[in-house]
Amino acid sequence: MAIKSKRYEEARLEAGSSLELYWWVFMRISGVVLVFLLIGHMWMNAVIMDLNKIDYDYVAQRLSQTTWKVYDWLILALALLHGGNGLRYVLDDWVRDPVKRFWTKVVAYSLLAFIFFLGSLSLFNHDFGVN
Amino acid sequence: MYRGREGQWAFYLHRISGLGILVFLVLHVANIASAMWGPEVSNALMKFYHQPVFQIGLLALIAGVLYHGFNGLRIILMDFTRWGVRYQRQLWYGVWALFVVFYLPFLIRIGGSILGGGHGD
Repeated sequence: MAIKSKRYEEARLEAGSSLELYWWVFMRISGVVLVFLLIGHMWMNAVIMDLNKIDYDYVAQRLSQTTWKVYDWLILALALLHGGNGLRYVLDDWVRDPVKRFWTKVVAYSLLAFIFFLGSLSLFNHDFGVN
Repeated sequence: MYRGREGQWAFYLHRISGLGILVFLVLHVANIASAMWGPEVSNALMKFYHQPVFQIGLLALIAGVLYHGFNGLRIILMDFTRWGVRYQRQLWYGVWALFVVFYLPFLIRIGGSILGGGHGD
């Protein structure tokens, strides 16, 4: 079960398993990191850059630099883990039927794993043709 | 722990914004990954997303990310400080103050381009 506590000490007592406590801590740490990464990402692409000018060449230019590949991949990995675990909390709360809940999770996790694979491929394995 | 009023609104908005962001993330990665099918496919898809209706969606998304992020910091303060839970309501108004400060530049920039008709080719 997801931890409902609002204090670390209580969360430690409430956690059914140490894995559940690790997820609880991970949500907080990844959350802080994601706030900064995402504000930077959005500021760069929507405030500094004109959104409507974003095309293949712009993306290629940006992703020709290793720094941005790593930056974007960090967002991808952390956001999928953070979002996937958040979705697990929501499904545990809102899908009551165990069979339905199981299959919803199978579909959701598979989709997220596929998106992680697809995103990683385009970041690291695709040659955008920019030097 | 808290029912009704600000605490409950904060909780529901956090969940809904979180789910919305996750859905966007899937579409966004699929869009960027289209580059693997070449510039033509990629540019066609991006041009499709430059329509004003998606820009409005993007404004909603940015609002969701900023709220979810700042409210997440509020949750962390409630978890790890001795006073956080006591001041959860005041903190929530702090979240909205931060939200307005960070959202305005996006609203002006993207809203301006929607109204100015500077979209697509």
